[in-house]
Amino acid sequence: MADDAVVEMNETGAVALRIYEVGYHIAPDTKEEDLDKVVTTLREAIKAGGGSFIAEGAPSLTKLAYPIFLREGEKSVEYDRGYFGWIKFEAPIAAAQAIEAFLKQNRSFFRFLVFQTVREDTRAKMKAPQLREVKRTDVIKQAPRRVEEVSAPVSEEDLEKALSDITSE
Amino acid sequence: MSNNILTQNDIQHVDYKDVDLLKQFINPHGRIVGRTKSGLTAKQQRAVEAAIKRARFMGLLPFIQK
Repeated sequence: MADDAVVEMNETGAVALRIYEVGYHIAPDTKEEDLDKVVTTLREAIKAGGGSFIAEGAPSLTKLAYPIFLREGEKSVEYDRGYFGWIKFEAPIAAAQAIEAFLKQNRSFFRFLVFQTVREDTRAKMKAPQLREVKRTDVIKQAPRRVEEVSAPVSEEDLEKALSDITSE
Repeated sequence: MSNNILTQNDIQHVDYKDVDLLKQFINPHGRIVGRTKSGLTAKQQRAVEAAIKRARFMGLLPFIQK
């Protein structure tokens, strides 16, 4: 592999570095305490190729959109979930190829992807949905509240007097 | 008004890990919607297509949906 590895030089004569990202799925049957060990082997492979880390996403159990079948000897193993993680790093081209070869050999990583990217954070920061301001045309004016009349206890004499006044008319 | 989600949210890069964003560019069958429907520029459409294909390979998005 090393013989046909591409070595690109920049203007100053140093080995040109590129930004890469590796995304991977670790088999779900791996114990959670062993995850760090598995990721460390990948980190060491990146370091060995002269890479430096930019950003990293810790592996977390993710449900897959479709089952992935993998042939292990005679048997076919189906994975419907996996520990998905990613690492963004800067490395020469040869190192990226070496990392891809390393991942291919390692059975813990049942699926991986190495591709060139940019240094900036590429995760989308969606704006919180803003409610549209609607101008109201139908403004409801509140009717003045009727003040309730407080009724005092009426004596029977006053009541009879009032009644006689009405009937006399 | 255009329905360009990327411009409206000032998104410069499309990442394959942003599954919720990418889901807005696939139809119920899992196919990538065209530019006329997505309202994206040609450059943005290419970036979205690449991101969806990466997400599909990594099992984050389906190739087809029944």
